[in-house]
Amino acid sequence: MRLTEQAIAQAKAVGATADEVPEMQLAETKYNRAKGSMADESYRNARMRAEQAELDARLAEAKVLTKKSEEQLNVLNTRIVRLRKQLQLGEAQ
Amino acid sequence: MSLKSNALGILILAGCASLYGCAGQHSEAALQQAGADFQKVKEDSNVLRIAPKDVIRAGESLARADRLSTYWGSGADVVHYAYLSQRYSEIAREHTNQALNEERAAKLELERQRLQLALRESKLLSVQQQGKWLEEQIVALATTQTDRGLVMTLGDVLFDTGQAELKNSANRVVLKIVQFLQLNPKRVVRIEGYTDSTGGRQENLKLSRDRAQSVADVLVDLGIDEKRIQVEGYGDQFPVDANASERGRAQNRRVEIVFSDEKGQLGAAR
Repeated sequence: MRLTEQAIAQAKAVGATADEVPEMQLAETKYNRAKGSMADESYRNARMRAEQAELDARLAEAKVLTKKSEEQLNVLNTRIVRLRKQLQLGEAQ
Repeated sequence: MSLKSNALGILILAGCASLYGCAGQHSEAALQQAGADFQKVKEDSNVLRIAPKDVIRAGESLARADRLSTYWGSGADVVHYAYLSQRYSEIAREHTNQALNEERAAKLELERQRLQLALRESKLLSVQQQGKWLEEQIVALATTQTDRGLVMTLGDVLFDTGQAELKNSANRVVLKIVQFLQLNPKRVVRIEGYTDSTGGRQENLKLSRDRAQSVADVLVDLGIDEKRIQVEGYGDQFPVDANASERGRAQNRRVEIVFSDEKGQLGAAR
């Protein structure tokens, strides 16, 4: 449970939200159900749900970071295209 | 998949909503899917290089699911470990994509720096070549201290009619601004575009903003952090002269660069 909680907190810290990343929604739902199972002393269910929620959250985190790295690439590519274009303009003159 | 087997799949899923029971088809399918996913990441040399731990965990969970599938009444456990295995495979894939993107970005960053240097050199060179007559061309260039702060006006001659691209004759001015901003690292600027009253309001707003943006782009390309630059387009608002004469209209077509004070305090936008 503690690992799950950490994984969810870590995913949130990089900006994963349930609205934007479906895995985050899954993680939160399962984590809440795990807590419910703990309260019902259904420990096996609680463990499974918590384990799944942990990996859902880790995947959500990884997806957000991948998306950020893609955006970074796009920014760099745009800048490079612009620089190339300017260099060509300079030569044409 | 046919419609019929699809419906069957849904039935099985619905029957297996509970975590307990239901070994058989559902767990078998989950196991196969997890196996296929694991196979794919295992065969990808990039994934093995970048995310070996995730691949190992995917393999371990899969082996566990596989072992459990030989017992009766273990459906829920099989599905669970198959799920964990699939997640590890997906995480391995994401970590890999992220790392590959970062490797690419590092290369592109070097390329960007190289191009930036080349551009700076070529601009310096062309300034030297163009010599002094250029200065007379930039008649509208002036730096004035107004109530808005220090304002530099880039005149109409630096753009072609209706175009947003800055002409090469602007090099000297642009380099001056870059130099100034590099010597004054705390200062920030707001680049404001203006047009005359010819043409529609919307087009003018767009043109003024595009021109201001293209000045900002050049500054960024020459190494000024984009966080230090704000861009505004005001269209035909705030004319500096009457739009009745050609001379007045030319005065109104301009880009103004408003500099902050030494501490980075910029006057409010209009």
